[in-house]
Amino acid sequence: MEDILLLAPEIILAVTALVVLVAGLYLKTEHKVALGFISVAGIIMAIALTMSIMLAKTSASMFYDTMVIDPLSQVFKLVFLSVALLVSIASVKYVSEDRNTEEFFALLLLAIIGMMVVSSSNDLITLFLGFELAGLATYALVGFEKKNIKVLEASMKYFIIGAVSSAFLLFGMSYVYGMTGTTNIPGIAANAHLLVDNPIGIVAIVMLIAGFGYKMSLVPFHMWAPDTYQGAPSVISALLAGASKKMGFIAAFKVIIVALIALNAEWQTIFAVLAVITMTLGNVVALSQDSVKRMLAYSSVAQAGYISMAFVVLTPTALAGGILYILSHAFMKAGAFIAVAIVGFMILVGNKDARDTDHIDNFRGLSKRMPITAFALMVFLLALAGIPATAGFVSKFVLFSSTIEAGLVWLAVIAILNSAISLFYYARVIKYMYFMPTEGGRITEPAPYAIAMILALVAVLVIGIWPEPFIYWASEAANVLLI
Amino acid sequence: MAGIIDSYIPVAIILVVAIIMPFITMFIVNVLSPRSSGETKFDTYESGSDPTGEARIQFKVEYYLYAISFVIFDVAVLFMFPWSVVFVGYDIAALLTIELLIFITVLLFGFVYLWKKEGLQWEK
Repeated sequence: MEDILLLAPEIILAVTALVVLVAGLYLKTEHKVALGFISVAGIIMAIALTMSIMLAKTSASMFYDTMVIDPLSQVFKLVFLSVALLVSIASVKYVSEDRNTEEFFALLLLAIIGMMVVSSSNDLITLFLGFELAGLATYALVGFEKKNIKVLEASMKYFIIGAVSSAFLLFGMSYVYGMTGTTNIPGIAANAHLLVDNPIGIVAIVMLIAGFGYKMSLVPFHMWAPDTYQGAPSVISALLAGASKKMGFIAAFKVIIVALIALNAEWQTIFAVLAVITMTLGNVVALSQDSVKRMLAYSSVAQAGYISMAFVVLTPTALAGGILYILSHAFMKAGAFIAVAIVGFMILVGNKDARDTDHIDNFRGLSKRMPITAFALMVFLLALAGIPATAGFVSKFVLFSSTIEAGLVWLAVIAILNSAISLFYYARVIKYMYFMPTEGGRITEPAPYAIAMILALVAVLVIGIWPEPFIYWASEAANVLLI
Repeated sequence: MAGIIDSYIPVAIILVVAIIMPFITMFIVNVLSPRSSGETKFDTYESGSDPTGEARIQFKVEYYLYAISFVIFDVAVLFMFPWSVVFVGYDIAALLTIELLIFITVLLFGFVYLWKKEGLQWEK
């Protein structure tokens, strides 16, 4: 019975989701803003509990070894929960005066539970279950504005590609089960040679990489990401880029690294090529985007390329760097998308029927119209480019230096060149915000949006200025993977 | 490896037969059948009443809501079957009853949601 308390964060979120859903049925639309506060309270409680479990360094396995609690799972749960906190605070404003508020928050909480299950899973079936729970909830969230044709397109694309990736994943898992005779991940690790020595086992690994690659938006599987991130409501893009994508990474860390360690050097090159293609394509295509959300989506693809360098290097420092990068990227990207949501709000205040609120022309002179948002967005963009004193610099530093330590200097050089390319399109937005004239007057940011954005800003700066505790926990998490 | 492939030979034979069969049937029918052409031949119901209106009509989506809400009870029963059979002789009846009640309560939230959202109302 004591074990089940280790899942208290998930249970609290599930109860909050049900409470929000049912309370929403009995509330009038104008009172539904309370639902947002209930969700935020639930998420804060879950964060506190997850932290207390993490700081106690608890390690446990439960439910017949299908779920584990260890530093790795707790670190990722904190990533998901922090993004959920930012998104739900911002959404208090976004879904205000919408009669379907309860669905929004309930789906958001369920999506987070799914991601947390993935990060805790120790069995392929549990992993798949969590993947689908998060997937189904986010498909519905992307299509939340069901009257908006662009949102529907984004939702359809995301749903269809998501279904295909699930099929790949399940097919790969069935082969893995056929080869090794177990769905338990440590069991698969023990029998990894059965998987690696057999051509069907290689097919299975490729299928798994494809399945996870869709969620991570690695390059051959990234086509959905720009369309979906651009079409979805900005707060949901923040959730997708900040949390849903990281779910693909934790799943890949858990499953593929097991196989990669057995496969040794042959596959290192393949993953290196994949990482290089991903970061280069993401950065080069982002250069010519006029829609800021689409630019952020391509930059997100590029960042996935940097993070997947951890798969190539596979040393403890590199994995710690990857995990730290995932943590910082969650805050940087979620913050940037929330800032874009604020700009969208500003444009809609001026003109109710405005289209393409995220077009770069709308960012002209933002520093005059909304100085706080402009400053925060500048910090997020500089952090994404990897400028010192921000989270982006620290994580890039750990990841790239570990790559050089491991002797893969060429990979590190390509990654650093890519960072230099990326600075161009980030700086372009900053130029529009600070050096272009505008006619529009000053507008105050709505409080929920501003709070969420400032929280993300503080997180980005804290990780950048005082990174020791974050590096410590990232390496604790990485150690779990390599034992 | 060879053993596995051998055991699939019957499947392969059935597959080949299944692919060839329709063509043979169509060919024989083509040769043997008598032909007559007339206006009524292309009617929807050759010996019935004349059809009215379009075939592509929209019908009410409410029907699907009913079908989906049925899943709530479907899932409940699906889990009750193993629940009632598997734990025989474990002597933890009280705990099991509470657990099933929790499960059903969670499912009932779905039903309450459907009800309050007027999913069970046929005419809106």
